[in-house]
This record gives sequence, C-alpha cells and structure tokens, in this order.
Amino acid sequence: MNALIFSAVSGVIMMFSSFLLNNKNSVRVLAHVLLLATIIANIFELRGISFFHIDTRGMLEFDRFALLFTLVANVCTFAFFLLSSRDLEKIGNHYSDYFSLLFFILAGIVVSSSFKSLLMLFLGIEILSIPLYILTGSDKRNLKSNEASLKYFLMGSFSTGLMLMGIALIYGATGTFQTGITVAEKVPVLLITGMMLLLFSMSFKVSAAPFHFWTPDVYDGAPTVVTSFMATVVKAAGFIAFMRLFAEEFGSIRPEWKLLVGIVAAVTLFIGNITAVFQQSVKRMLAYSSISQAGFMMLAIYSLSNDAKEGLILYAAAYSLATIGIFAVLVRMKDYTFEGFNGFAKQQPFLAGILVVFLLSLAGIPLTAGFLSKFYMLKATIDGGSLALAIFAVLMAAVSVYYYFRLIQSMYFKTGNATISGTTTGFKYTLAALAGITILLGIFPNLLTNWLYF
Amino acid sequence: MFHLLQTNVTQTVSDASSAGSYFPVGIQLLFVVGMIGFLMVVTHLLGPKRHTSDKLQTFSSGIESHGDARQPMAIKYFLVAILFVLFDVEVIFFYPYAVNFRGLGWSGFWAVLMFVAFFLCGFIYIIKKGALDWED
Repeated sequence: MNALIFSAVSGVIMMFSSFLLNNKNSVRVLAHVLLLATIIANIFELRGISFFHIDTRGMLEFDRFALLFTLVANVCTFAFFLLSSRDLEKIGNHYSDYFSLLFFILAGIVVSSSFKSLLMLFLGIEILSIPLYILTGSDKRNLKSNEASLKYFLMGSFSTGLMLMGIALIYGATGTFQTGITVAEKVPVLLITGMMLLLFSMSFKVSAAPFHFWTPDVYDGAPTVVTSFMATVVKAAGFIAFMRLFAEEFGSIRPEWKLLVGIVAAVTLFIGNITAVFQQSVKRMLAYSSISQAGFMMLAIYSLSNDAKEGLILYAAAYSLATIGIFAVLVRMKDYTFEGFNGFAKQQPFLAGILVVFLLSLAGIPLTAGFLSKFYMLKATIDGGSLALAIFAVLMAAVSVYYYFRLIQSMYFKTGNATISGTTTGFKYTLAALAGITILLGIFPNLLTNWLYF
Repeated sequence: MFHLLQTNVTQTVSDASSAGSYFPVGIQLLFVVGMIGFLMVVTHLLGPKRHTSDKLQTFSSGIESHGDARQPMAIKYFLVAILFVLFDVEVIFFYPYAVNFRGLGWSGFWAVLMFVAFFLCGFIYIIKKGALDWED
C-alpha cells in the first residue's frame, strides 16, 4: 500500500512540476528523490510498518511476494533513472510528464502484482499499459515511433478485450471476482474458456509466442530509453501478475492448463532464440532476447513451486538489471548495429568490460545472477516433472550464447571506430555498481530471496 | 472446439455447465461460418464483373469528390471533446453518491472529496499546460 500511494502521488507531483519547475535539472532531482522515497516506504512495509490503513475489501493483498517484487521493480527503475534520465530529456519537450507517466506505470505494477480480485488485475494491467502506449509514441516527429505506438495500442486494447471477456466468463462460471476459487471434480466449460482467454491475453502482455508479433516492431520503434524500461520492469511485472493469476485463481485446475503453458514456453524459447540469431541491429536483437528470456520465465508459471517463485523474483532482478545496463550504453551509441560496436573495447575498455558482465548474465554463465536464475527455473521444471522441457530450455540457452557473444566478439576482436557520446564518470560508476550487483546476486542469491521469508 | 468434440451426444444433457449443452451453439457456429463462406465464394464465381471508371470512383453522396482527405487539421476540437467526456463522466459518478448520500456518511464524503480533488488536479494541469488555449 505504501508503494502504491507513494508512486501515484509522485506521479501527480511530477505532473505539476512540469509548469512549476522551469529547470530540467531540478525536475530530474525531484524524480530521483520521489522514487527514493517510494523505495524507502516500500522497505518499511516489507518490514511490517504500513503508513496507511485502508480497507481494500480483500481486493488487494500485499503479501511478501508482491512487496518484494515491488521493491525489485522500484530499485530497477531507480537504476534506470540514474543511468538514462538524461536521455529521457532528448525525446521531446515534456520532460517531467515522462517521469509522471513512469510513476503511474509503477503504481500499475504495484496493483497488478498484489491483486486478489480479477477486477484489480484488469485495473492494474490497464494502469500499466496506457502510459506505455503514450511513452512509445512520445517521439512525436518520428514516424516509426508513431507506428509503434499505434500498433501497440491497437493490439494491446484487443488483448485487453480478450482479458475482459475471460474475466466475464469466469464470473459467469464461479459467481465471484475474488481469486482462489474451488471447483468440484467436474470443471465447468465456461471456467476453462475464461482461463484460456486470460492465458492468451497475459501471454500477449508478456510477449510470449505465438502472441509476440508486436514485440520487435514496438521495441524497435519506441525511443530506446523507453524500450529499456518496457522490456525490463514492465515485462517482469507482467510475469508476476501472470504467476499470481495462475497460482491463485487457476491453481486448482492445473491439469487443464499445464500442457498449454508448457507448449507456450517451448515455442517462445524456440522462436525468440532462433530469430534473435539473425538480427543485425543490437536493439532488435535485445527485443528478441527479451522474448527468449520470457520463455524462461514462463517455466516458472509451468512449475508453480516455491523454487519457481524465488526464481522468478531473482530472474526479474537479474534480467532487468543486465538489460537496463546494456540499453543505457546502447542509447549513447551512434550506430545501433553490431558493426557499430566494432572496436568498442579499444576506446572504452572499462565500459566494454561491464557490458561483458551483463551479456554473460543474460546468457546464463556461472557467477552471474543470470546463471542462478536460469538454474532455479530449470530445477523447478524438473521437479515439476518435465525433464524434456528442461533439456529443450538448456539447448535454447546454448543458442542464445551465440548472439550475446557476437556482441562481445565485435567489441573485442574486430576493428572499427565505435562512437559513443556523453559517458560521464558518474555514469560509469553506476554501471559498475549494477555489474557488481549482478555478480553479487550470482554468488549470494539469498540476499534477495531471503526477503521472502522474514 | 476441442471440448465440444469430446461430448457424448447420445446421452441427454442434464448438466447446464457441461460441454454437451453447448453443442447446438457449436453446430450453429459451424453452419454460420460455412454458409457465409459458401455465399461469398459463390457470388464471386457466378456474379458478372464490369469495371468502369465511374464505378471505381470514390462515392460520396453522389457529389464528385475532389482533393485529398489526408490533410492536417487542428487537434483542438478533439482535445476539447475528449476533455469534455472526461469531466462529464465525473458528473456521472456524483449521481450514485447523491442517492446514497446519507448512508455513506462522513467516510463517503471524504472519499468523494478525494475523487474531486484528483479531478481538480487534472483540471489545473490541463489549464496550465495550455490545452484549452484556443488561439495559438
């Protein structure tokens, strides 16, 4: 509740700062301070101190899983602010409005990760999506950005329609919006139909195949800073909502959907990884890589165990931090293709080294957080009884090494003149801190997952 | 469709929520899709085709069309219209509150006050942003 109210009010404050503050620097500092306050308030609630006592009539429940994910999302957003808030300035004239939209997205993330009622799920997903449609099209003079925004809006509203239809059918079958239904031995057809509609719309939101077609175009067309946020924090939030929905609402009819989710996970892994191999632009490669990482996160929904829960939180943190770091460098590059990175290590040895840590983490090499989060997912899948799916996932992870290492290869072993602008010392230290966290979580994952239990 | 195919048709359907009770709907769906598809194919194959230049022109109430429809036009109208809808909907929310005014008591009053305050924030925001400035 703390994080929800703090982020919503921060959004309103940022709205007003667009005409109260003339200086862009003060807008930026204000945004950082507000986000820091949100993080601190959330930590207080994680420690059991809630500032607000509002009766939500059982529609929202702030359990440890939701609170911990909110913390992860907020901290990743803070890292995003530190690294990329200056690049946000270059999109257009409405600097503080971009911040307020980001705060509203955070409010949506809190709602969609702590819902106890399907209505709240719908509300959370919408609060999270609508600011994203705007941010995608925020580069108004760019045709590609406009196209991406329109495409995202049309497809997104269609999938929201599917979600509402599913919720309506579930209401028809059970007579309640509250999650945690119990069914007799015979499952009503309406419930199954509703469950499938919700599965489709949530797969769309997290861009799992075969509902991923919007992802590359939208991620490619949106301003790169926005893509960085969209592909990480928002996607992870989608998975938390997905996990919560299927664990709490459909946990009792698991045999009905287990195979379907398994197929979606396998197809996502396959399409994401194979298509990423053929990309020439790093930005587009990262879009496909986000699809393939989504396939791994689907494994958590497939297995739904305690390991899967811990693993999903760790995965969200590892994937978000690494991808935000890579995007922060990518935004400042002149050329977004793989060739644009040729000879990068000669010019910026420090930055190149940090990028290697992030790429290794995404590929899942040991001693990074990416390895352990993939490990948790595979362990949960094998415990869940599907060795074949786990083997397939490992094979696909091996494919992913190709395109991540291709970037390392062009940075270190090819000659060229990679051009990067605006690397300050603070930027470098922040990136180094992110890389440090990535390695730290890879050695001591308990630092994060222990928060779930006390 | 998968669940429909599993139904036992010979058995009389008594349970309203079983797949079998949706079987007639499934049949109807198939029939409708088949019928429409059939009609479209048949008209395409059998119908005469005469393309004349007059026939292919854009039809707008019988008046000859001129110019291009893709022209930039002022967005102010849409902005004002959408803002009107926004504040109109706010008034709709007052109605149920007015009906239950006594029952909701002070807590209801504070809730509505908060709702209005947020709307007022939005109103100040759009005015300060210049969304309602008609002259450029």
